[in-house]
Amino acid sequence: MQLFSKIWRVGLVTEPVGPTDVEAVEIGRALDQRIKTLFGRALAIREVDAGSCNGCELEITGLTNPIYDMERFGMHFVASPRHADMLLVTGPVTRNMEIPLRKTYDATPDPKFVVSVGDCAKSCGVFADSYAVVGPVASVIPVDVHIAGCPPEPLDILRGILHALDRSDRQPQATR
Amino acid sequence: MMAGSVALPLMLGGYVGGACLALVAPSSRAARYITALGAIVGSVAALAVAARVLVTAQPLVLTVPNVLAAAGGLVLSVDPLGAFFLAVVALGSLPAAIYGVSYTAAYEGRSSLQFFGLMFNVFLLGMSVVACAGNIFTFVLAWELMSLASYFLVMTEADVVETREAGLWYIAMTQFSLVTLLPMFLLLAPGAERTAFADLRVGAAHLTPQLRGIVFLLAVVGFGSKAGVVPLHVWLPRAHPAAPSHVSALMSGVMIKLGIYGVIRVAFDLMNGGPPWWGGLLLVVGSVSALLGVLYALMEHDLKRLLAYHSVENIGIIIIGLGAGAILHSYGLQTLATIGFAAALYHTLNHACFKGLLFLAAGNVVHRTHTRNMEEMGGLIKQMPQTALLFLIGSAAIAALPPLNGFASEWMVFQALLAGTSIPRPEVALGFPVAVGMLALASGLAAACFVKAFGISFLAMPRSAHAADAREAPASMRVAAWMLAGACILLGVGASVVVPALYRVLESVGGLVVDPQLAPAPGLWIEAPRALGHLSPVLIAALLASIVLVTVVTVHRVHRRPLRLSDTWGCGRIAQTPRMEYTASAFAEPLRRVFAELYRPTQDLTVSVHPDSPHFVQSITFTSEVRPWFEEVLYDPIVRAGRLIGVGVRRLQTGSVHLYLVYVVAALMAALASVWWWP
Repeated sequence: MQLFSKIWRVGLVTEPVGPTDVEAVEIGRALDQRIKTLFGRALAIREVDAGSCNGCELEITGLTNPIYDMERFGMHFVASPRHADMLLVTGPVTRNMEIPLRKTYDATPDPKFVVSVGDCAKSCGVFADSYAVVGPVASVIPVDVHIAGCPPEPLDILRGILHALDRSDRQPQATR
Repeated sequence: MMAGSVALPLMLGGYVGGACLALVAPSSRAARYITALGAIVGSVAALAVAARVLVTAQPLVLTVPNVLAAAGGLVLSVDPLGAFFLAVVALGSLPAAIYGVSYTAAYEGRSSLQFFGLMFNVFLLGMSVVACAGNIFTFVLAWELMSLASYFLVMTEADVVETREAGLWYIAMTQFSLVTLLPMFLLLAPGAERTAFADLRVGAAHLTPQLRGIVFLLAVVGFGSKAGVVPLHVWLPRAHPAAPSHVSALMSGVMIKLGIYGVIRVAFDLMNGGPPWWGGLLLVVGSVSALLGVLYALMEHDLKRLLAYHSVENIGIIIIGLGAGAILHSYGLQTLATIGFAAALYHTLNHACFKGLLFLAAGNVVHRTHTRNMEEMGGLIKQMPQTALLFLIGSAAIAALPPLNGFASEWMVFQALLAGTSIPRPEVALGFPVAVGMLALASGLAAACFVKAFGISFLAMPRSAHAADAREAPASMRVAAWMLAGACILLGVGASVVVPALYRVLESVGGLVVDPQLAPAPGLWIEAPRALGHLSPVLIAALLASIVLVTVVTVHRVHRRPLRLSDTWGCGRIAQTPRMEYTASAFAEPLRRVFAELYRPTQDLTVSVHPDSPHFVQSITFTSEVRPWFEEVLYDPIVRAGRLIGVGVRRLQTGSVHLYLVYVVAALMAALASVWWWP
């Protein structure tokens, strides 16, 4: 009863959804097309935090919120690299995460894409030369596309993913 | 005719010769080979005897009237029922004898292998003669030979305290069994001169119903304590682990089955079956044994104790079959009753095979890792691939997975129980679904238990240095186990041939009427009458084989893709140690909570911390035990009472010769007085 009265008293606390981001939809449609030609089904993404400050993670999480809602364009995050087509790697690679990152790359079935997200993943950012850091992601595993920004916005990330898929001259998986 | 008349003396000769020659063997090595040779000759001859009697259905008789003529002399009379159990004995003995050659090598210099060889062959002789005995004297003599010889075999590692304790429990229970069996036979015998089983059959016909009931109860208690039914099972989990593995295989696979033989022989052959409560008692005892056996097995982390508790479970399943048969029999439903009895016999044979196999495979493991604790094994599938496969076959059979033999016989037990709906009395018929539920729960838990036993012992990483250094067992030990594994597969796939043969065996049991329709020509299907169901193990096996074949062909031929092999995905974990592995205790923990009322587990958690700060833990000790309240409630009072009486009686023994003379005179006077009083 208390619960209902509280719901009644407080009312709605979420803000109304703003006007649809036209650009996000455009990029999303393009992604949808590309994913269908490349995979013939959804794109499964495994996110790996190799030592990031979690700024990039916040933006990546934004991809699944009601504004961007990337699942409607046939992309979703999966819990295991065994299910993944793409690795989304953030942060400078720390010593502790070097071997797990390699193992994750190894565990992801071919064909696969690797997209590094954020400035740290490219240049280690403020963590460069730290004793705890091995180096940028590209020094540990091969990277297809890098998304700049500290942190990059969700739209940038979507563009980056699209770029990675567009750049690829790979045909659907049967050829590999 | 010739083959049979030669084979029976050859069997006796093999065992006796093996026993005597092993005793005088010049070296331990020679003793090992002579022991095995005698046992192999004996068991092959026993198989020949059994085969001949089963094929011709004519009893084979051998009498030696001069031995203790007053008691009726030695009479061996092998009828098809006896031959069936003789075959079970021989089927277990042959691999065990081969296995023993290498296994007992570890005892060289530790205990006398000459004596071991003597006792091993005497044990086999005793078991074989129990199945062949034709009169009370022969039966009891063989029963005691079997019991005492197996006691000495259990005591092979007498330098271990646990073994001595196990021996004490075993000898007490086995003598208790004799104490109840002797009055049972005396009640059955019509006269002191007439002790042959044929005479007992006549004697039983003249007993009052009350006396018949008492005879039956004595038989259930006496034979049941040998078979290991709850609550008389306490010796099994002690004696089986203590004995050398091939002896455990014999005791668990074969010897306890002779208890079943005794119940069938006395209750259904000599006494022609009885009122419904006989079957009801068997059904209750069987269901409780099956369920409690497997529940205690789940809590065991000692590989051989786990197997011993599973013997309690399987004896329970056999007795459920017997009980269902007995109830149906007492209501005149002969055709359905036959299914129950046949299921019991079939499971007897099957259990002898897969339990023997499991004990031999466990013996391989113990031989190489020098531990019985599953928590110290692990990863053995890499070092001992064949042993692992053998254990897997045994586990699948005992967990009743098709197409192996355990499945076929448990299916038949279920059919017999489902047939209970035909009983005209609803209050009796209601007991059957309860038994179905208990049996179903027991089979499910048995499967879980063997997932634990196989998974923890053979999979994952070695948990100790012993397990890491283990090598595959010697060839003779593997060959022996493969023989039993082959039997498991054949008996499962060939069920439709075996079952009609079992109906033929049952025809020889005095009290049973076997419907001739039940024994059709062996075909693809096992039929249960009145369309309760039918089963074709051959077709199941073919189906399973084709599934495997199709998968393999699809993966390797049709769906060709380049393969990239990499590690198992472990969430990017860098280092993995055996301490991270699932343990047997952890696996069994959920069930321990569910059945906490039964187990009454005790837990003791001790955390020692650094003296300066409670946040630095130095060691954590966790001990947990399942309280054996059976023993506390049932056996402790008896032991205490026995001890009290013993202390009281000790007062008589003062060490004074004069007093002893008084005792002698008093006893003499009492004897004379009693003769005078009651002429």
